[in-house]
Amino acid sequence: MSSENRSSVGRRRFLQAAGAGTAVALAGCSGGGGDDVVRLGATYILSGFASLYGEAAERGLEMAQSEINDNGGIDGRDVEVIVRDTEASADTAIQQMRSLVEEDNVDGLFGLDSSGVAQAVAPQAAELGIPYMITHAATPFVTSPEGEHENSVGNDYVFRDANNLAQDMYGAAQTAAELDATEWATIGPDYAFGYETWDYFQDFCAGLGVDAEFTAEQFPPLTTGDYTPYISSILDAEPDAVITPLWGADLTTFVGQAEDAGWFDQIDHTLFSVGMGTDLASDGSPLPEGEYASTRYDPFVPDTEANNSFRETYYEEHETLPTYNAEGAYRALYLYKEAIESAGGTDPDAIVDEFTGMEHSGPVGDYRFSEKNQATVPAIWGTVTYDDEWESNVLDPVNVYDANPDEMADALADSDLPTGV
Amino acid sequence: MSATDTGGRVRKFGSAVADGWTRERFGLLGALGLVLLAFGPSFQIYLFTDFLVVALFALGFNLLYGYTGLLSFGHGLFYAGGAYGLAIVLRDLGPVFADVVGSGVAPLVTFVVGGLVGLALVVAVAVPVGWLSVRLEEIYFALITLAFGMIGYSLIIQDPAGLTNGTDGIIVLLGSVDVGGESFRIGARQTYYALTVVVVLAAIYGVWRVVNSPFGTVCKAIRESPDRAAALGIDVRHHRWMTFIISAAIVGIAGVLRAGLASVASPGLTHWSTSAVAVIATVIGGATYFSGPIVGAFIFLYIRWGISRFPTLDAYWELFFGALLIGVVLYFKAGAVGGLLLLRDRLFGEGRAGGDDGPTQGGGGAAEPGSSGDRADDRGDDS
Amino acid sequence: MSLSSLVPLIGVSDVVVGLSLGSRLFLIAVGLSLIFGVLGVLNFAHGGLYMLGAYVTLAVVTGVIDNFWIAALAGALAVGVVGAAIEFAAIRPLYDRIDADLDQLIVTFGFVLIIHETVRFVWGSGSYSVDPPALFDFSVSLGGSTFGAYRLVVIGLAVAVLAGLWLFITRTYFGSLVRGTSSDREMASMLGVDVPRLYTAVFFLGSVLAGLGGALSAPLQSTSPALGDQVIIDAFIVVVIGGLGSMTGAFVGAMLIGMMQSLGPQFISAGSIAIPFLAMVIVLLFRPEGLFGGIGE
Repeated sequence: MSSENRSSVGRRRFLQAAGAGTAVALAGCSGGGGDDVVRLGATYILSGFASLYGEAAERGLEMAQSEINDNGGIDGRDVEVIVRDTEASADTAIQQMRSLVEEDNVDGLFGLDSSGVAQAVAPQAAELGIPYMITHAATPFVTSPEGEHENSVGNDYVFRDANNLAQDMYGAAQTAAELDATEWATIGPDYAFGYETWDYFQDFCAGLGVDAEFTAEQFPPLTTGDYTPYISSILDAEPDAVITPLWGADLTTFVGQAEDAGWFDQIDHTLFSVGMGTDLASDGSPLPEGEYASTRYDPFVPDTEANNSFRETYYEEHETLPTYNAEGAYRALYLYKEAIESAGGTDPDAIVDEFTGMEHSGPVGDYRFSEKNQATVPAIWGTVTYDDEWESNVLDPVNVYDANPDEMADALADSDLPTGV
Repeated sequence: MSATDTGGRVRKFGSAVADGWTRERFGLLGALGLVLLAFGPSFQIYLFTDFLVVALFALGFNLLYGYTGLLSFGHGLFYAGGAYGLAIVLRDLGPVFADVVGSGVAPLVTFVVGGLVGLALVVAVAVPVGWLSVRLEEIYFALITLAFGMIGYSLIIQDPAGLTNGTDGIIVLLGSVDVGGESFRIGARQTYYALTVVVVLAAIYGVWRVVNSPFGTVCKAIRESPDRAAALGIDVRHHRWMTFIISAAIVGIAGVLRAGLASVASPGLTHWSTSAVAVIATVIGGATYFSGPIVGAFIFLYIRWGISRFPTLDAYWELFFGALLIGVVLYFKAGAVGGLLLLRDRLFGEGRAGGDDGPTQGGGGAAEPGSSGDRADDRGDDS
Repeated sequence: MSLSSLVPLIGVSDVVVGLSLGSRLFLIAVGLSLIFGVLGVLNFAHGGLYMLGAYVTLAVVTGVIDNFWIAALAGALAVGVVGAAIEFAAIRPLYDRIDADLDQLIVTFGFVLIIHETVRFVWGSGSYSVDPPALFDFSVSLGGSTFGAYRLVVIGLAVAVLAGLWLFITRTYFGSLVRGTSSDREMASMLGVDVPRLYTAVFFLGSVLAGLGGALSAPLQSTSPALGDQVIIDAFIVVVIGGLGSMTGAFVGAMLIGMMQSLGPQFISAGSIAIPFLAMVIVLLFRPEGLFGGIGE
């Protein structure tokens, strides 16, 4: 049974928050915003098919919060984080962010798990004049300035500290180049993220000269209960390899049903582009060993003091390896700390100025923000392997593809898709 | 009556209120409140705008439920119709309008045209859907409207025509108007609030006129007894069809306003769970009163907001409304408006102006819609 | 070019998958149909009860006894008790109202919200998976395709439930009371049938079927609080197409929709999920009693 532990942890945390939560709520009601704290708002999926992502992000941000507050806070002020549920809906996410900015007077926002939601939210950040550090949602169009492509919604206020879909697919195409497979198919969720993954994958394969044909595609709606008809349809097309961006509970459901249908015997290689987001600790239907998965952060690479101590502390507390969503949220708090300290205050435009072009270092390694506000982090792909020591799947061997913005742009020269880097 | 008789004093106060506080004064006070609110905290303006939109949604829904007895579980279809009409026009025709009327006023023109297109779209859908649906009654009507709503939902998320942008929905950006050096954003909190107040009040007035017209009287007769109405020579089905279309159009207007407010037209608007919001608001407020859905929407949104201020409760707000819904249907079908009227009668003495009596309890809410609250008894001018 | 190369072939796998999807739908819908057939109540909370069945099974299998069948039985009975309580407390007072149908629909919708939030409170928002019973936790190959063996077991279980219910309604005394009351409540009452008690009993039985459906389907789906809302709509489609109140109808309707869902992704992509709803509209308009009408048929 998956997620039992997590859910009860989530609930316990919930109950603990009960006492403090009331005080926070009242402060919010009365206009709050005293100068004694730095208040940040976080928006994640806390319910529904991808609630595990929100829970992982909460662990990461709580860890950063207590570290920062135990070490003198931000310029001597404690940091407080108000977490809200987007329910994976653009409508709700926008409402939550308005409430956070106008009712709770937060100094900055971070979060977002869904590409579709991120695209709708990005213009609102500019409208509200508040910095938004995206820590997960991967669509390149939020870090592609308005006008670059018809879907582009990037603007000065929106940043992303995790790698984006273009960077990820740049790595996927290079992984594909090394595999003995020519016929490729996809099965992805029926929304922006599913389609963009497939588009970018194809265009990067073409741009990098990968010998690949694209023969079948299926886009089941989110939260499909039974993937079997879609699985049969892909199997009937007999591709050599499949790339799938299914995620959250959908991925768990899919993997179980795919196993039953003999998927992993018939398809030579399956690439899970969001595979390590929740799978690390899941014991429901974990990714089968020997397949490929990507991550936006690996708990063992780079082998630095920052990464090792982050991993150890996290593991000690939660008895599971940190996922990339935990790391992205963790780092967002440190990014705000650095920006606010060097800006000397919480003026939103000053924070935005600091973020712009900022060089930073965290568990994920050293990176900077590109002129399009995208963190220049690498693409990480590897082979799914069960590790007895951590009682969890890990990527081993793992390949880190340095996603150089210029090389990415070259690879997409014949495509109308932006790199968003 | 001695001076120490509290009951007497209360009654005296009651009659003073009733004599002095005419409808005009209440109207003035309400208008003043609406204006004052425009200078309130930004989020409160947003919340109130949201309330106005949901109130109109529920009011449109209740035209059908409260006045002809047909419970629709598919009015989200028309809510979404209005929203998507506006969103598609903004996305695809914005530049065209900029060329024709100049970029200064183009956003306003696009918004107005988009709104009208949304409304036209809703009516165009409601005419056949209504025609088919009113063939059925009771549970079967609820089921067929639910199915129509879900057909709309399926088409929007699968997007066979390439218009709706699937599950992600369409971003709605209203833009800024530049006229003579002055510039204002249509979506700015106060601007949009003012716009919503005007549109919603106008729409409520329109519904009020319909309800109190001969047409409305026929509707009520149908609700009371379709068979008797038919025996009187009324074409029941035709009347229900017409009511269905008007009801959908009102909901469509709410949908247009919703898209601008939410800044996104999302497929969730057509889902049955959105249609259910109108049902919840209406039942809680009191389906048998004209103002029931409005009061219900107020309760729904403000209690929900109140709950949202307490993080521990926030995740379980549906529980509260589930229990409230069951309680109202089982024990107090007159809803919140009925409760308020009962309270007024208790405080200010019974038997004032005819028609103020609360509706009869139980028995399936047999009270005549509009027979109370809002002084619906003034509708003598319709004969 | 032969015709067969133009028309994609319907393989064994499509049929098996379709039947297994249909079996799950039947298990979801049959209790709903029974309750409507006898009581005239359209129970919106039926999906919630189905979900509750899956959760109770999960809880028993992880916390009490590691035996799927016992857990499923416990789930079904627990849900039956919840259902009977709902009927007794909140539906019974409404039978005599003029708008009884709609009031009952609204009240049961209230329970949709309550069950959803209760499940979230107790089990959290995450999703769980339930392993199939160990005996059937393997794959079988059939006609060039591979399936989880439990998928085939579910088809058998659906047929067994249909047969059992049919026997129960046509061959037992209680069944004859049910049939009599569903065709003429007044008459049954005059003949001395305790109608309110019978109604509660039928609601209990319908809820047991909902819980059993959720329990038996648990290994085929992920169990999360969204499950109830998802399946109630499927259940509505099935019972409308099959005929509200008809067991056989529910079975045939479920199989039809199951086959549609199985073949949909291969033949039509855009707009395919609208088709079951379209079918529902057409049946409501032209044959509102469904393809099969009446209880026990």
